[in-house]
Amino acid sequence: MRAALRSRMQALTRPRAPESLPVRLDRRRVYVLPTATGLFFALLLGTMGLGALNYNNNPALLLALLLAGAAQASLLFAHLQLSGVRIEAVAAEPVAAGEPLSLRIALGAGDARQRRGLQLRHGDEVVHASFDASGTTAELRLPTSRRGLMPLPRLELRTVQPLGLARAWAYVWPAQATLVYPAAEPHAPPLPAASTGEGRARDARAGDDLHHLRGYRAGDAPRTIAWKASARRDSLLVREYEQHRRDHLQLDWSATEGLAYEQRIRRLARWVDDAEREGRRYALRLPGTAPIALGLGPLHRHQCLRALAMMPAETPA
Amino acid sequence: MTATAPHMPAASRRHVLAAAAICLLPLLLQLPLALGLGFGASALLVTAAAWRRPLPALLRILLGITAIIAVAATMPGIGRDSACGLLAGMLALKPSETFSLRDGRSLLGFALFAPFATFLLDQGPLSLALALLAVVAVLSALRRLAGDESGGSNRPQASARPGWQDLGEIVRLLGLGLPLALAAFWLFPRLPTPLWGLPDRAVAKPGLSDTMTPGGWLDLMSDDSPAARVQFFGATPARAEMYWRGPVLWDFDGATWHQLRWDAGADAAEMQPGDVRYDYQLDMEPTEGRELVALDLPLQAPPGSMFTLGHSLRAERSLDNVTRWRLQSAPPSAFQPALPPALRMRALLLPRGFNPRTVAMGRAWRREAGHDADGRADAALVGRALAMIRRDFAYTLDVPLAGRNEVDDFLFERRQGYCEHFSSAFAVLMRAAGIPTRVVTGYAGGYRNPIGDYWVVLNSDAHAWNEVWLPRRGWVRVDPTAAVAPERVFDTLADRRPGRIGAFDGLVGIFDASDWLRRGWNDFVLGFNAQRQQRMLDPLGLAGIGGRGLVLLFALVAGLAMGWMAWWLARGERERDPLLRAWHRLGERYARIGRARDAHEPAQAWADRVAADVPRAGIDLRTLGRRFSAARYARVEPAVVRALVRDLSAHRP
Repeated sequence: MRAALRSRMQALTRPRAPESLPVRLDRRRVYVLPTATGLFFALLLGTMGLGALNYNNNPALLLALLLAGAAQASLLFAHLQLSGVRIEAVAAEPVAAGEPLSLRIALGAGDARQRRGLQLRHGDEVVHASFDASGTTAELRLPTSRRGLMPLPRLELRTVQPLGLARAWAYVWPAQATLVYPAAEPHAPPLPAASTGEGRARDARAGDDLHHLRGYRAGDAPRTIAWKASARRDSLLVREYEQHRRDHLQLDWSATEGLAYEQRIRRLARWVDDAEREGRRYALRLPGTAPIALGLGPLHRHQCLRALAMMPAETPA
Repeated sequence: MTATAPHMPAASRRHVLAAAAICLLPLLLQLPLALGLGFGASALLVTAAAWRRPLPALLRILLGITAIIAVAATMPGIGRDSACGLLAGMLALKPSETFSLRDGRSLLGFALFAPFATFLLDQGPLSLALALLAVVAVLSALRRLAGDESGGSNRPQASARPGWQDLGEIVRLLGLGLPLALAAFWLFPRLPTPLWGLPDRAVAKPGLSDTMTPGGWLDLMSDDSPAARVQFFGATPARAEMYWRGPVLWDFDGATWHQLRWDAGADAAEMQPGDVRYDYQLDMEPTEGRELVALDLPLQAPPGSMFTLGHSLRAERSLDNVTRWRLQSAPPSAFQPALPPALRMRALLLPRGFNPRTVAMGRAWRREAGHDADGRADAALVGRALAMIRRDFAYTLDVPLAGRNEVDDFLFERRQGYCEHFSSAFAVLMRAAGIPTRVVTGYAGGYRNPIGDYWVVLNSDAHAWNEVWLPRRGWVRVDPTAAVAPERVFDTLADRRPGRIGAFDGLVGIFDASDWLRRGWNDFVLGFNAQRQQRMLDPLGLAGIGGRGLVLLFALVAGLAMGWMAWWLARGERERDPLLRAWHRLGERYARIGRARDAHEPAQAWADRVAADVPRAGIDLRTLGRRFSAARYARVEPAVVRALVRDLSAHRP
């Protein structure tokens, strides 16, 4: 019943469809309604006004009217807190399904009005946005439930300023989707054996296999940094190792045969994470997509997890 | 507001409680002193005791009951003042359970009833000033709570920005609401008759009433507040002739004089007015009673009032607000020369067993004077009494409590007192001598305010005098107090000018000015009612506009006020620099003819481009563009900028 009412309200309020950013909140999409406190005060002022009119008690009437005037002004004030706000952009780092997605929302304003106490809200999640002259960035945590592209929900921007008697709100519905990685399987078997070579210890990456040094690139594991050499050169250097075939992992869809469809995806996601943690290069082969070549590092991980996330939903065979 | 009530931060709680205290203050000032002090102290105690955790429910209930008992003890009975006292008590105890945001807000809401209730008891300037303060305090507390609700973290500059700016914003909100409030105040249709009556006070204020107990007016006669303000049109009586006739008292029970019990709605007594007429307008301060005063003698009862049997005026409703009366008076040449026998009997009645010496003396005087039909003996008796007063009596306010035979004590032992004693004793003596006599209460004299040229009658001008009935002349005013020899006038309040302290009269001017302001306030605000509302529109050519027309007019003006409010609030969006503003407007004018400036285009480049396309206006534009760049990026005189703004505004494509 309540949900039905809410969806009915949603259909009535703007925007009714996702929109591309940036979006400027104009007055037609800012809504103002009194809060519970506002209704309480309205009742109170009504009582006072009626009593004052009845007794023709002019100071009391003036008092009630003055308060009512200020309350009315606060309604307009609340409206103007929102109208003119620009939602510049939203962005989010992908997270695994089930973990909260932290959505960064950049707000700006076309005018120099002072804005305080703006709130961004979705569901029960509320975040405060403090405005200054150049705007603000707020981070709203959104719940995620399933892998894949998650269309952004309709977000509410609201304020109860200046007196808490009225709530002004507006919706933003960015026509954007964020990627949600599959959730890694919590208790997965260890990584599958390396595809070739056997018997040699894994810690062979020490001295003798050193191939050469190269400059540090973002994403390099800290332990690959050659600290002594870096100190000499005054810039961070990273050891690059001879490619050890035995360390190369082939993460293959077929290796997870026997598991449920989603389970397989989660297992592979776990293995990708494990391989990253151990610093082993890995390749991923999935049905229906081009195989992903060997690699290591955040970008490679993203590529792999993205491919996993974008796996089509299981089709009943 | 969320379902779980979040707690107020300590600073906000202090703010809310302070605002509630400011609300409570004017109400406490109107309560009896002991009660006001008691509630004030208990509010502080309760706040201190409940600072960390709420008081136990049982204790709160106990405190509530104590408050009720305290109110009942100081103000017995159910009345407006005791209800206000109760409200004050409950508000004083409320801090014991004010913790969450919602508690804070409801406390603020209920606290607003305190100034409202104050106005039911008093509408003076002090109450008003405190009430305005309370409004500002409540709004600023509300604002702080709103800030708390939207997250304390979003007040980064809170410490750098003291409360003044917040206060400024509150005042701005009030100012924005003011036109709407005033429109509603003047134009919202008023109720010509109340829907329900105002409950009376349980404890009456000092003032004229329908009874008089000699010795009972000390409160009233030391009260320097105005009772009425009078504006004369045309002739003004001499100050010594200003007898403001109030309740006329007939019945004496040995201690107290009363009005006739069946005294209401009488026809005007027959009177022949003298040749002088006084035409005046009288603004009565609220007395909570129905008794009006009028210059001796009113010619007719104005609408909304009626005559009593003593030819004094009584309003149809109790005077809870400032009321305005338009009156004509004339000193009579004959006043009820044919006295109905029932009234004559009433005016001769004396209680049995009181004041035997006075009664004996009255009878003795009558025996000595004899009887005659045209009242020469009666007049002689009156003269004899006045002569006795002039010879032996003194005026003082320092009078012991009345005994059983108060008149005997006064006439034969003490021989000093003030108007109540004189008029009471005189009436008893005359009645004993067989002359119909009654006591008239009211005010005598007045103070002319040179600012505004009107007269102020103070409560301390309260006076009691007598009327004796003489054949052919009817009722004749006799003021026994005035017969006291001037050298025997001691400890008095006479010859005080308001604002004078001893020999120092530097405050007189201040009193004059403030009373003049107060009169304007009364006139403009307090006395405004349904009739005045109708009359206000008459000069605008809207006479007889009626209720519906008034509503329409109100809607129109309220709409304008709201429009103004919106315009003023939205103004924040406009460019603050007048030069830039003029330049942007110029750009808009060109944009309308399809020559908008591109976002990346500098002013000069745009002007050059337009000049190439629109040669006629473009030449000017190019010059303007150059001047604009110079004004923006080089240092120029303000006068040059102003001239440029003018030229920019004048330029048309």
